[in-house]
Amino acid sequence: MRPSLALLRTTTFRLALAQAGVVLMFVVALLVYVYFATIGQLVADSDVLADQEYAALERAYAEGGIRRLNQEVVERAARQGPLLYVLAEGNGLVVTGDFQQLPSLPGESVQRIDFGFESTDAEGAAQRGRARGKVGRLLNGPILLVARDLGDSEVMSGRITRVLWTVAILGVFLSIASGLIASWLASRRAEALASTARDVMAGDLKRRAPVRGEGDEFDALAEAMNAMLDRLERLMQVSRTAGDAIAHDLRSPLTRFRQKLEAALEAPADTANDREALRKALEEADSLLDMFAAVLKLARVESNPNWRFERIDASDILRELVDFYEPAAEEQGRTLRGEIAPDLFVNGETGLFTQAVSNLVENALKYTPEGGHIALTAARRSDGRIEIAVSDDGPGIAPADRDRVQERFVRLESARSSPGAGLGLSLVAAVARLHRGGLHLRDGLDNGEGKGLGAALVLPAAA
Amino acid sequence: MRVLLVEDDADMAESLRASLAADEHEVEIAGDGELGQSMAATGGYDVIVLDRMLPKKLGVSVVRELREQGVSTPVLILSALHDEDHRVEGLNAGANDYLGKPFSTRELLARVRALWNGRDRDVQTRLQVGDLEMDLLARTVKRGGKKLDLQPREFRLLEYLMRNSGQTVTRKMLLENVWDYHFDPQTNVIDVHISRLRSKIDRDFAQSLLHTVRGSGYRLEA
Repeated sequence: MRPSLALLRTTTFRLALAQAGVVLMFVVALLVYVYFATIGQLVADSDVLADQEYAALERAYAEGGIRRLNQEVVERAARQGPLLYVLAEGNGLVVTGDFQQLPSLPGESVQRIDFGFESTDAEGAAQRGRARGKVGRLLNGPILLVARDLGDSEVMSGRITRVLWTVAILGVFLSIASGLIASWLASRRAEALASTARDVMAGDLKRRAPVRGEGDEFDALAEAMNAMLDRLERLMQVSRTAGDAIAHDLRSPLTRFRQKLEAALEAPADTANDREALRKALEEADSLLDMFAAVLKLARVESNPNWRFERIDASDILRELVDFYEPAAEEQGRTLRGEIAPDLFVNGETGLFTQAVSNLVENALKYTPEGGHIALTAARRSDGRIEIAVSDDGPGIAPADRDRVQERFVRLESARSSPGAGLGLSLVAAVARLHRGGLHLRDGLDNGEGKGLGAALVLPAAA
Repeated sequence: MRVLLVEDDADMAESLRASLAADEHEVEIAGDGELGQSMAATGGYDVIVLDRMLPKKLGVSVVRELREQGVSTPVLILSALHDEDHRVEGLNAGANDYLGKPFSTRELLARVRALWNGRDRDVQTRLQVGDLEMDLLARTVKRGGKKLDLQPREFRLLEYLMRNSGQTVTRKMLLENVWDYHFDPQTNVIDVHISRLRSKIDRDFAQSLLHTVRGSGYRLEA
């Protein structure tokens, strides 16, 4: 990353620019306000003042003629103050007053006038000033000008304006600087996340995004990302071990399959032998296909989120399962009994739910010795969840192995001799997860010798 | 009977054709969905066996459009996708049966026969096989005039066997149609149910009606 350029593209920096723009607009608005509050007010005041003076001098002229007016103007012009006076003859020639010349010759009517002038200050230096006032022709021709010097207020407003512009420039600068810092900080943290993602992509699945513990949005993002990476890593792990297991577990039946066909082909033609070899090869092919079907089903349960869930009557399904398996259990010298509370409803997919429980029942039938007991129980727990348990008084599974047997293809040594691919419990666990529940293995029925095995599906109850 | 087989895999089609022909069916093959649909619409077949994944038009669309055209020939869909949702989709489109791959040839033959057999079954209220009688309204079963006491599940099992009497029904067909289960139990559950039913309908009678067909399933026949 090139920080200098990349920084300018960040969202935070753009926000800072927008903020600087707002500061600028604010200062301009303030300037307009200050102008009207100072100069504007001054102008209005000057106009009133000039009107009053003009009227007073008009009265003096009316009462005492040109001599009186002349005298008044001389007197007033001599006073210290912001007011300026000029009395001129009708042709514009100045008679007396603050200026030697009229800024302009007035027309017939009295008019407002706004003009610049030069004057000398106490030290004799020339100064440019501005004034605003009223000029007009009096009766019989003389011209009278009354104006106010705006000099001081102009200086004042000029200073205010300069201060405001300084503030504006400082504000814009600070906005941009804080924006740069903020976007630098933000992009540093975003970069930490991006670099984690790149490392993971490059194959370092253990890498996790740093969480500062400040509980801010970056931490939330990092935590979500880490949770996603955990799940991803688990899935990768699962698919890797599954791949290994498939390769391993497929090899033996495929080898037997091949060996049987080869042996039949090598041996002298013998219809009976050939048919037997074909029958056995068919059996091997079937068990391979069963295994593929189980793997595919498991993959679909784990990766497809689009199962059609509906409110299902678990009690009803479980009663039917007991009804379904009970005769076979009895035939095999085992007792299967159901203790199923009525009206247990779960949100689920009927087919998967049924198959999960049937897997548990079949496992129990398979691993419980003759004369054994199996119980399918279902009840609502005190926490409101529904627990469906298949318990037996068979050899059970050592607590240390209970998590492991839920992984796919894991078969305990004791189970190696019986048919199956080690996918049954994995499927049950996956179905439980799909239904937002879990599969828990625990002790089963105590027959005085062993503890047996209890496999409990705990699922949320449907509303 | 005349079977239309719509299957794009030539090896598979030939092997199925040979099996169906050996079961005394007259088979014609269409290699894609569009051809299959036009042949089905005009050919006067008794049963259509339709692969789900077909070039040009999917099996499910073929069935739906055939039904819209008023073609009511029984259809069996073959599919590598045999999860619940795909099965329901196929049946909703108008297929009469849905068989997941891989399947055994015997399974396919049994289902083709069952489709042909079951084409007009819904009107019956009484079923009879030899001296075994079932009254579907009164929910009673009699053999030789003697009332038999069956559990509800046994009644449904027997009903299915009687509706398909004279032909082989596989364990998978029983599982799907009697229990609505779409998985394979590893144990001999179906056999035990059958033997219990057999003890009720056959034990006290000289002639056995419920026969085991080795390697395939069962057949109820007088």
